[in-house]
Amino acid sequence: MLEGLVSPESLSLSYADMSVPERLKWLQQHQQQEVLSLSSNDSPDLLQILQFHGSNNDELLQSTFSHFQMVGSGFGTNYNMGFGHSHEAMDGYISRTSSCQIHSPDTMGVMLKNSEENRAISLKNKRKSEVCLIIVKTREEEKTEKKIKVEAETESNISNKEASSDTSKETSKGASQIQKLDYIHVRARRGEATDRHSLAERARREKISKKMKYLQDLVPGCNTVTGKAGVLDEIINYVQSLQRQVEFLSMKLAVINPELELGVEDLSVKQFQAYFTNFPVVIASKPSVMVDVPLFPLDQQGSLNLSVSNPNQTSIDAPSESWETQSQSLFASVLR
Amino acid sequence: MQPTSSMKEEFLQKWQMGLQIYRPLIDNTSVSERRKAIKLSADVAMASLRRGTTCWSRALIQKTATEDNFLVRQMLSGIKAETLINKKLPKVMCHRKIVRRSKKILRRRKSRSAIEEVAAKARKLVKKKTQGLRNVVPGGEFMSNDVLLIQETLDYIVSLQTQVNVMRSIVDAAEAGSERTAYYLGKPKFAIEDG
Repeated sequence: MLEGLVSPESLSLSYADMSVPERLKWLQQHQQQEVLSLSSNDSPDLLQILQFHGSNNDELLQSTFSHFQMVGSGFGTNYNMGFGHSHEAMDGYISRTSSCQIHSPDTMGVMLKNSEENRAISLKNKRKSEVCLIIVKTREEEKTEKKIKVEAETESNISNKEASSDTSKETSKGASQIQKLDYIHVRARRGEATDRHSLAERARREKISKKMKYLQDLVPGCNTVTGKAGVLDEIINYVQSLQRQVEFLSMKLAVINPELELGVEDLSVKQFQAYFTNFPVVIASKPSVMVDVPLFPLDQQGSLNLSVSNPNQTSIDAPSESWETQSQSLFASVLR
Repeated sequence: MQPTSSMKEEFLQKWQMGLQIYRPLIDNTSVSERRKAIKLSADVAMASLRRGTTCWSRALIQKTATEDNFLVRQMLSGIKAETLINKKLPKVMCHRKIVRRSKKILRRRKSRSAIEEVAAKARKLVKKKTQGLRNVVPGGEFMSNDVLLIQETLDYIVSLQTQVNVMRSIVDAAEAGSERTAYYLGKPKFAIEDG
């Protein structure tokens, strides 16, 4: 039954040397072989192993190992020796890998019978590696409640995949993308709720915090503030100040430029820059708050004028207000 | 993401196109009308950069369409169909006040430990701020979830930065031009004759 599952030469690697991620990679490599070589297995022992109903960790370990040993005698000497000398110390590792290899598509189908069997069977080839990983994770944590989490996680992953298969999301640590599946791996932490809703909520919260980080990079002065409320406050102030600037600039342009002529028709940005820097003398004499000509940012990507031209100002709102007060006196005669 | 020069160029072109529509009507308009024309055409230009993919751009176009339908139609004639202009804004998702009141009533009997109260206050504050953000971003009331709101805010901020950058450079160039002529001709500065 387990024939062809494991190639003897691969097993000559000592399990103690491999860490978990390496072992996972090793397993990945053998996925293809397993899929091809696995026949339908109806052994109830395997079902027993894989159905974690109320069994203790240690019992499970021993049952898997004993089963494995039973079957292992049919293999070549390499295989046996690999296990023979090390099984006391490393039965944990061995049973981990063995349990991963033992399951077959049909046992998978049985295991997931509770949750929409048809879907499970259709997804079985992809699920296998994932459940394999989840079993590995379970061993590491050694908590009985986690077994329920495992099934819940599988279920939630199935539901997540159905729900949002086209959005790409981040994966949890350790479960590096085994196959190119586009759903989120949310890792339930110790003692946290593991039902479908809270997992989905946690995924949503992580998405939101990721996007807030982008916003923090974009809005100047946001790095110092911590907490969602402060960041949101800064963002609101920034957007409002930008909108006010637009209004102000359009008013100014309306005053200065009665013809609504924006200049040369095919003016490119480079031409603007050149045009402007040709007359530094005239501009410097102007008592304006707004701009220092050399800092003119048309092709300077990144910083808004605001932060460049007013280094003395600490907040973003202040510059726009000072413009408005100064220019209001200027345009007082013009404004209605 | 930061405003790129290609975005700025595209914005400038579209804005110029919009202002050209106004140019025949220029002679006897007041400052405020000119300002409105400038601002509206700038807004539509900014929104059309996104070609209808984002929620805020659609909402902004619809808002300006209520003020000046003709301008919007002319500016968007080549790009998008009338559907974008004619599409009605979706109804508000829920009446928040009513929902909030009913939630408050349901929540009366919850536990009052100190930690929970602090957390609840923090959550309330965050909710208030997101509501404030919805008020600022165009079309914010119609964004059902927070993730969408933040995505739209991100995009909106970048577009606003583009708009402000280009407008400011135009204003400064225009100022420089007028000052230069004033300087060379010996006229006083800020010779603004008509109002």
